Amino acid sequence: MKKTQRLVLYVFILTLGAAWIAYAANFTSASGNTSAPQTGFTAPDFMLQSIDGKTYALSEFKGSAVLVNLWATWCPPCRAEMPAIEKMYREYQDQGFVVLAVNMTYQDDSAAVLPFAQEYNLTFPILLDEKSVVGSAYQLRSLPTSYFINRAGVISEVVVGGPMAEALLRTRIEQILK
Amino acid sequence: MILLIAAAWIGLSLAEKRAERHGVSKEDLNNITFYSLVALILGGRVFFVLQNLSAFVKSPLGIFSINPDLFEPTGAFAAAGVVALIYGQRRSLKFWSTLDALAPFFSILAIGLGLSHLASGAFFGKETALPFAIDLWNAARHPTQIYETLAALLTFGLVWRIEKNQPPGFLFLAFAALTALSQLVIQAFRADAAVIFNGVIQGQVVAWFALALCFVLFEFRFKQAQNG
Repeated sequence: MKKTQRLVLYVFILTLGAAWIAYAANFTSASGNTSAPQTGFTAPDFMLQSIDGKTYALSEFKGSAVLVNLWATWCPPCRAEMPAIEKMYREYQDQGFVVLAVNMTYQDDSAAVLPFAQEYNLTFPILLDEKSVVGSAYQLRSLPTSYFINRAGVISEVVVGGPMAEALLRTRIEQILK
Repeated sequence: MILLIAAAWIGLSLAEKRAERHGVSKEDLNNITFYSLVALILGGRVFFVLQNLSAFVKSPLGIFSINPDLFEPTGAFAAAGVVALIYGQRRSLKFWSTLDALAPFFSILAIGLGLSHLASGAFFGKETALPFAIDLWNAARHPTQIYETLAALLTFGLVWRIEKNQPPGFLFLAFAALTALSQLVIQAFRADAAVIFNGVIQGQVVAWFALALCFVLFEFRFKQAQNG
């Protein structure tokens, strides 16, 4: 191919590319209005009972920065990250940070949950998912899984697996508190 | 992650087979890849720490955490690039020939990236009523991950078939231009794409400039080949 032919081809492709960018700009849509357990989406709402018998709904906490942590007592990384979550909760709760630790009770021993919370001195709400309400809505694949939800109720980050380092928790919490 | 590791291994094995065609020994190809990967991992962590210094001052042991989320991709790639350049200079490797030798590695890595997006549900598409839509995140969506994988497969096929007697750099630039072109097209169908202004998608603009740069470099390489 001669140089002139190549230059014409370059200009043609780049012009077509620029036109495609302009065209695509007209049908850009945000994913924030749909609810799904993925970054950029509104976090699926749920309502569950806590170990002390109170009922909590995620939608109650709109305006707060929320960490939804899915866990089980038999899961070693879940156990390992709980002290760091508790520490962060105590440090940031005054700024509007909330933790909802959802125990996957349908695949756990419900009798072990309260002693676990007492052993680790957990002060945030521990919710019991006995019928896989959250497990299904959040399409749980691995334990622990943590969802960092910003003040607008949109998932800002999903961390699959653990244990989460304190520094990671801190960076993500400061991000959703903004 | 497993898909990316598998892709890196397959890509490196294929690149090795043709490395000597570009004047790069198998040993150099393996070393430059290994050192760059180490720099990628360490650089990603170092840049993440620097970016979130206040968090690590309060929890310094977090620097050594095995958590893969403590990673900054831009810094990681910059570190890998710098290490590759240093290694190449020390071993007197030719810049464009080395990139040509690595082109199959990059092409297979791009296929692995598409498959990893498909497995994780990342890079998801906009909602559509097309018959080939996939059901993902509570909606029928463009299968952008499949578009991405098919485009990467096509790119690999073309790069693999390019004949030997091309000017140095042609193979790598062909890979880069085809990848930029496919991203320019596919990014328009992404639902999670970052928007700069008035709906203009950031990834498309970056891809457009990358494509333009590839064209400039193509001409630069042709000119040098004619002169040399």
